Amino acid sequence: MKNFFKNCLLRGTPSMVLALGSGFVMASSADIRAALGMGAAVLISMLLTSIVVSAIHKFIPAYAKLPVYLIIITGFVSIIQMLMQAFFPIVVDMLGAHLAALAVSAVIYRDAEEVADHNGEWHSIKTALSTGLFLTVIMVICALIREILGNATIWGVEIPFLANYKVSALAGAFGAYLVLACVLAAIKKLTGAHEHLEEEDCE
Amino acid sequence: MNIKHLLKTILILLCIVAIFAVAMFGLNFLTGPIIEANNKGAEFAPLLAVMPEAENFEEVTSTLAGVPESVIAIYKETSGKGFVVRAKASTQYSKEPMEITFGITADGKICGIQLDVYTDSIDFRSKDANYIDSYLEKDSALADIGTVSGATYSSTAFKGAVSEGFAALITNSLIAEGVKSDAQILGEMIPTLAPGMLKTEEVAVSGNIEKAWKAGNDAGFAYVVKNGEASFLALVNATGACKVYDVAGADVTDAQSAIADEAKAAASASQKSYTEDLNTKITRLYETATDITPVEVSTFNTVVAAASFKVDGADYYGFYSRSIGFHQMDVYFVIDANGAIAKMDAKQFIFDEEYFGNFGGMDVGAYKGGFEGLTTETWSGEQAVIATATMTSNAMKQSTDDAFAAFNAIKGGAQ
Repeated sequence: MKNFFKNCLLRGTPSMVLALGSGFVMASSADIRAALGMGAAVLISMLLTSIVVSAIHKFIPAYAKLPVYLIIITGFVSIIQMLMQAFFPIVVDMLGAHLAALAVSAVIYRDAEEVADHNGEWHSIKTALSTGLFLTVIMVICALIREILGNATIWGVEIPFLANYKVSALAGAFGAYLVLACVLAAIKKLTGAHEHLEEEDCE
Repeated sequence: MNIKHLLKTILILLCIVAIFAVAMFGLNFLTGPIIEANNKGAEFAPLLAVMPEAENFEEVTSTLAGVPESVIAIYKETSGKGFVVRAKASTQYSKEPMEITFGITADGKICGIQLDVYTDSIDFRSKDANYIDSYLEKDSALADIGTVSGATYSSTAFKGAVSEGFAALITNSLIAEGVKSDAQILGEMIPTLAPGMLKTEEVAVSGNIEKAWKAGNDAGFAYVVKNGEASFLALVNATGACKVYDVAGADVTDAQSAIADEAKAAASASQKSYTEDLNTKITRLYETATDITPVEVSTFNTVVAAASFKVDGADYYGFYSRSIGFHQMDVYFVIDANGAIAKMDAKQFIFDEEYFGNFGGMDVGAYKGGFEGLTTETWSGEQAVIATATMTSNAMKQSTDDAFAAFNAIKGGAQ
């Protein structure tokens, strides 16, 4: 069990281990609402993509996998974006182009290509869920640090006693790198150094 | 890759695209109206901020006649509570136009106002935090709304944008026009009757004087003076000349000499004299200048001092103009008896050169020399242009126009 969480933490944080998707992690971690929104978008698109890819991968010729998977990912991201625009417009405003850019995210493509393409539905669902959930957790941790200390707000509500002590740099790109680096260091300390992660680790 | 594989691939791609297209098409029926409502809510958010009790808005700009360019959009509150106007205004210090949103109730009074975009280098809100709120409850007359000291241009532009918003509604008979007091009507005449009194600021009053303004460039004073039931506007320029106007804008100086005398007395107590400065400049420009005599000019422009003098028996006139470019400009002209500029000089032409990103410097000697010999016939304004220094160029143009006007007033009485 301990190994499962340790490995899922690493599986679920590809941006930490493989430097994949670190762009949208940083872009989405300035506000907890944005982090949760992006986390949900990643989780759902990854889950749906994995299910579809694992179901149809046998019918797709090897040379056509890249365009087919990208179309599937783009389709699901577009659907999620439409739903979020309708029901969570504030989050869409916060995420801006980064939400649409999920369609070309290496994290989701990697999950589809490396996991769903070689495994059954159940395994793909498990991997997508663990990856998406832990990615969300990491984004929320970063967002908690950056929003509270950088903006002196939580969930967009001002924290009066912190207003005069906020470190504005944390809310910007520099802060995003700094917090990400700290979280990366903490994860490495908790899990030990992992240069390579095998898919089996998460089973 | 054989043709069969290729067709299969194309078919798969088409199927996937078709499935997603159908899914998105269906989803659009559910989310489309919600997204549209969200967008409308975001669009109306600034409108609701100035008219919180509004139920809904409908843009009516295109249905109205005579809407000034400064008015971005006019929205009608659908239940009849009034209108919301979005307007813009620029000053010479603006990087981008300021944008204002204000709500006007059905009875023509401002119920809410906010500044949405502001990029001027001088922020009038920091100089008078209550200035914007002072517009609340005002009708189109905007009674008692002045300008902000130290931010005259931007606060004037702000007021102008609000006035133009009101004008658009009044022109289309959507609200009733507010009634202006005589003092207000007279005060609004100042920029027209005394265009050289720049950056006017209200100052303390005494006696029969109801209101008083001092020109920020020291070009004179303006007073609204009460005489019985009637009010008059008295203008006193920096050389001591005075004119009195009634509310219709007619020159009544001769008939209201008592008012003129009171205004002159009030102005002389506060007016800064530039006569000595001009005299000093003349003697520097012409070491042999004699008979330097101050002259009163009847123009109400940027000329703050004038003098006649002789050089080797020839008559000359010196003028000191204070126009405003990037900062205060102090410009001197010497015009000979034939009306040609003999010399032109200024304390400083270019201020804060670093402000001008592309400013490549200027040949001051050549620039000044370009004015020599110009008469009202040969002066076109182009001679004042300094590349990439528009504000200074405009100020130089105004100063030159004003010097010629002052000369003509002295020589022929015409302005």
